[in-house]
Amino acid sequence: MSPAADAHRPPRFLKAVYVYEVPVRLWHWINALSITVLAVTGYFIASPPPGVPGEASANYLMGYIRFAHFAAGYVFAIGFIARLYWAFAGNHHARQLFRFPFWNLGWWRELWTEARWYLFLERKPRLYVGHNPLAQFAMFWCIAVGSVFMIVTGFALYSEGTGRGTWQDTLFGWVIPLFGQSQDVHTWHHLGMWMIILFVMVHVYAAVREDIMSRQSIISTMVSGVRTFKDAEAPADADPEPPPPRITLEDARVPAAERERAG
Amino acid sequence: MSVLQTPNGFTLDNGGRRIVVDPVTRIEGHMRCEVNVDSDNIIRNAVSTGTMWRGLEVILKGRDPRDAWAFVERICGVCTGCHALTSVRAVEDALGIRIPKNAHLIREIMAKVLQWHDHVVHFYHLHALDWVNPINALKADPQATSALQQAVSPRHAKSSPGYFRDVQLRLKKFVESGQLGIFKNGYWDNPAYKLSPEADLMAVTHYLEALDFQKEIVKVHTILGGKNPHPNYMVGGVPCAINMDGDQAAGAPLNMERLNFIRARLLEAYEFSQNVYIPDVLAIASFYKDWLHGGGLAATNVMDYGDYEKVPYDHSTCQLPGGVILNGNWDEVHPIDPRDPAQVQEFVTHSWYTYGDAKADADKGLHPWDGVTEARFELGPNAKGTRTRIDEVDEAAKYSWIKAPRWRGHAVEVGPLARYILAHAQGVGYVQDQVADALGRFNSLAGTSLTARQALPTTIGRTLARALEAHYCAHMMLEDYDALIANIKAGDRATANVEKWDPATWPKEAKGVGTVAAPRGGLGHWIRIRDGRIENYQCVVPTTWNGSPRDSRGNIGAFEASLLNTPMERPDEPVEILRTLHSFDPCLACSTHVMAPDGAELARVTVR
Amino acid sequence: MARLETFYEVMRRQGITRRSFLKYCSLTAAALGLGPELVPDIVHAMETKPRTPVLWLHGLECTCCSESFIRSAHPLVKDVVLSMISLDYDDTLMASAGHQAEAILEEVMEEYKGNYILAVEGNPPLNEDGMFCIVGGRPFVEQLRMVARDAKAVISWGSCASFGCVQAARPNPTRATPVHEVITDKPIIKVPGCPPIAEVMTGVITYMLTFDRIPELDRQGRPKMFYSQRIHDKCYRRPHFDAGQFVEAFDDEAARKGHCLYKVGCKGPTTYNACSTIRWNEGTSFPIQAGHGCIGCSEDGFWDKGSWYARLTDIHAFGIEANADRIGATAALGVGGAIAAHAAISALKRARHKGDV
Repeated sequence: MSPAADAHRPPRFLKAVYVYEVPVRLWHWINALSITVLAVTGYFIASPPPGVPGEASANYLMGYIRFAHFAAGYVFAIGFIARLYWAFAGNHHARQLFRFPFWNLGWWRELWTEARWYLFLERKPRLYVGHNPLAQFAMFWCIAVGSVFMIVTGFALYSEGTGRGTWQDTLFGWVIPLFGQSQDVHTWHHLGMWMIILFVMVHVYAAVREDIMSRQSIISTMVSGVRTFKDAEAPADADPEPPPPRITLEDARVPAAERERAG
Repeated sequence: MSVLQTPNGFTLDNGGRRIVVDPVTRIEGHMRCEVNVDSDNIIRNAVSTGTMWRGLEVILKGRDPRDAWAFVERICGVCTGCHALTSVRAVEDALGIRIPKNAHLIREIMAKVLQWHDHVVHFYHLHALDWVNPINALKADPQATSALQQAVSPRHAKSSPGYFRDVQLRLKKFVESGQLGIFKNGYWDNPAYKLSPEADLMAVTHYLEALDFQKEIVKVHTILGGKNPHPNYMVGGVPCAINMDGDQAAGAPLNMERLNFIRARLLEAYEFSQNVYIPDVLAIASFYKDWLHGGGLAATNVMDYGDYEKVPYDHSTCQLPGGVILNGNWDEVHPIDPRDPAQVQEFVTHSWYTYGDAKADADKGLHPWDGVTEARFELGPNAKGTRTRIDEVDEAAKYSWIKAPRWRGHAVEVGPLARYILAHAQGVGYVQDQVADALGRFNSLAGTSLTARQALPTTIGRTLARALEAHYCAHMMLEDYDALIANIKAGDRATANVEKWDPATWPKEAKGVGTVAAPRGGLGHWIRIRDGRIENYQCVVPTTWNGSPRDSRGNIGAFEASLLNTPMERPDEPVEILRTLHSFDPCLACSTHVMAPDGAELARVTVR
Repeated sequence: MARLETFYEVMRRQGITRRSFLKYCSLTAAALGLGPELVPDIVHAMETKPRTPVLWLHGLECTCCSESFIRSAHPLVKDVVLSMISLDYDDTLMASAGHQAEAILEEVMEEYKGNYILAVEGNPPLNEDGMFCIVGGRPFVEQLRMVARDAKAVISWGSCASFGCVQAARPNPTRATPVHEVITDKPIIKVPGCPPIAEVMTGVITYMLTFDRIPELDRQGRPKMFYSQRIHDKCYRRPHFDAGQFVEAFDDEAARKGHCLYKVGCKGPTTYNACSTIRWNEGTSFPIQAGHGCIGCSEDGFWDKGSWYARLTDIHAFGIEANADRIGATAALGVGGAIAAHAAISALKRARHKGDV
């Protein structure tokens, strides 16, 4: 049974659900911070600020900018690995970021409905405990895949500085000839930054707007971890069966694809 | 089998035995030459074929005009830098950019260093083996060689018998090893070689001396342009900023130490061309005093755009003035204007390109600003072999990757000899003195009494003019150096004009032309710019003029003309052909670049 | 076939004393960055190894590699040609031409089967049946394939042979193709650069002759000894980069002080070569010292990466040329506009449907 069909089940009161566990929330904000640092310093690495006066030995502006970029890069990469670990250790919402239910027709249908809602063609948005399909789509491509791309290209470029034979070179150096040459990797890494910036713009806007206009909490959820709902209708991704007693903590139905795999 | 009279006065007879030389070696790029010799082994028909095409102007389309210099510089790594200089001149002309005086002088020094270097390397390393027999040098008496050296050039320090003995010993051991390397399969027992063993030994010694020194003079380019081959240029001036006594001058591109370095090299070059190069050419030439072949077009039609302005942007102050001489009339020099659509035109009748249809191919000539290029590789009906295994080309059809440029329909010769004839005819004192002095020395060595008009339009004259021009350049660049110092002393340290650096300051459309006295002759680049990008770029280069195939009316180019009526000692050993072709210093990578106003046209090039 | 002579024998016969010979060996060791303990190895190698024939072919090129080669200061090119290798075929320098020249190829290929080095300058064009470059009436690519057949190793001189270089720049009208895409069954040493540094060229040859092996190559097939670092990594202007001191326009005060050329487009940070260490023409200078940024001439496809004077690459996939920042900023503007419009409509709708839901 597709989740879309579930959406029209009789309303059931659902007040608050614990969605984002502590590691997920922590990662989100650390990631947000590191992306900010990476984007700003990255931009300045490509287009440095006006020159500084004085002796070269008395200044280290580009050095600091690059240091900040590399440090933030490490935070970003380690955070990503930790987040990946939590996808296995945490609740099923923690896995959503890394999943792309390509073969799930219902999911695509819901994605379409969600897109129509954003185009003002649907009167009412669906309720979701986790990410709605459109958000999941963007998250998967921009954050899961996008981060891997930025980490791999970023460390490839970093390996040019650490030198041949270092672990960075061993693990990521192959990327450079794959793209052609160093300058190509720079270009793609730079384009990757812009893609993430675009994602952040849409992400922030959608979160604020959803907070105001949709029927569930968004921003506060990423702070407290608890999603609250403004009406009694069942979320589209809620469990179809009568909720077990621990509904308020761990509620949502395992998505169809996952259940099939488990069973 | 036919005898043909060309409009420009040559008789071609392709009835005799056909001889093919492919590859022609010791040139830049790829070239093929076919001749017919009569029963007396005299060349009666000559066909020169450019055998490469790279399509650089097609590649340039749509690019930033400020980047063009680097692309066209890669047309040729031998005359390295002269295409870059021509390119920045063309772009500056189109955009109305005037460069600072220091930049002008620095570019002049670089251009003349290139000229000097190119001429020296050409003579010793690309040309000398046509006159000099290194194997014969083994028979020389070092004592007599020393005497010869002191006779032809008393001021050259390296002239002791021991010095020549060492070189001879090294050469001897090299030859005895049996691995002859670059001398392998040479024509060393051909009677076309006329030098005495002592002269051969002296020349071989200088081959090695020149090889050692040529790497020194290019260091001037390394300082001013960062590297050589292929130093860097820049639209609007030169990138090497000047800092004589300010903060951090030691890290600046040009400071006192760097300028001193340059001056030291320039002085060495001056001495080398004066004490080694010119005396060598005269000494070698004296052994070939009876071999006055190879004049060809030089005796009638020569052309150059003029270069080395004493006053920047005043073309009337060119120290090697331009113009055109026709029909051997040295008393009348026609002015040349590269902008005039009726003057410089290119034909493709016998070139592997098409102007669209057979009629246009047959008679249309296009000015470079309006040129069209579409490659069409096809062999004529009388060609022998196959498409990818050519035994003989058919010169009645298309037969070269080189176009045929003409000045008002005339085939002309370009190069140092053309410039020297033009300078001589226009009364340039330095040149007239040089020619008189050189001829005096030649005549006394050879026991002849040749005049300039007799001696210059020959293969030897072409080689001599190149040597004289190298030395004139050494003289001029020392003057440029002094002028540069004087200008800096006067407080001017500007090296670049960046007012119009930003494409936003450019007009929507612009066109310009740049010309340079390149080592092999007059070089011109024509550019059209639209919306900050190259719309159209064309180079008409010296070897395109000299190596051109026949044109629509059947006029032959300078290479072909120069080979006619030359006797060959042994037709199977192309010593004489190489000697005369090399006297032009052919540069095939240069000559075979043509433009396409529309890159898409080239998609029609056959891909199999 | 007579026994081949060794370097040492040749040098001795040419009047070079043993003392000079040993000195030469230690200089060679120093030039190759080897410690003094390896000098005996070099001495031994030079004393026992025969001169290797080198066949140097030219395809579509500009001869800048040959020109660079003859500028080598240590070793001097005359010593290379007379005493180290046997340069039996090189269009640019050889005495013979035509049939006599072509005959050399077959002779050497037979006599030294599997023991000669093929050096390639330039590359073969494949369009028009290869006839954009004709040698001996035939396509150059045929000559290349033929000579490669029995070669011990192939040296790809310069960016043409290594990567394609200028004639392979967009739209590559002749389909100029790097050597390794045509010759796939031989070890190929790429020595890129337009041209490569003279002493790098002779250094590679000297290494191969001395140690009788191919230098260690990196992922792109370049000798690690000369191509493992970016120009930027050892640039004498690097302190100015780290300090954030840049030339903003040519001939400004920073240019006169020798500050970093990054902002006027220097490609040193993305270019692997030895220009800032070995430098050019006997260590005289290199492009950055002469005030012009590096144009990246030893990198694959450097012609198609945008202006010499811009750091950001031109991206052609977007129809008009643009760089990452222009594309990104345009997209951001578009997305920002869409967000604003969307927000406005949302607000309007919300106002209209207040109390709904």
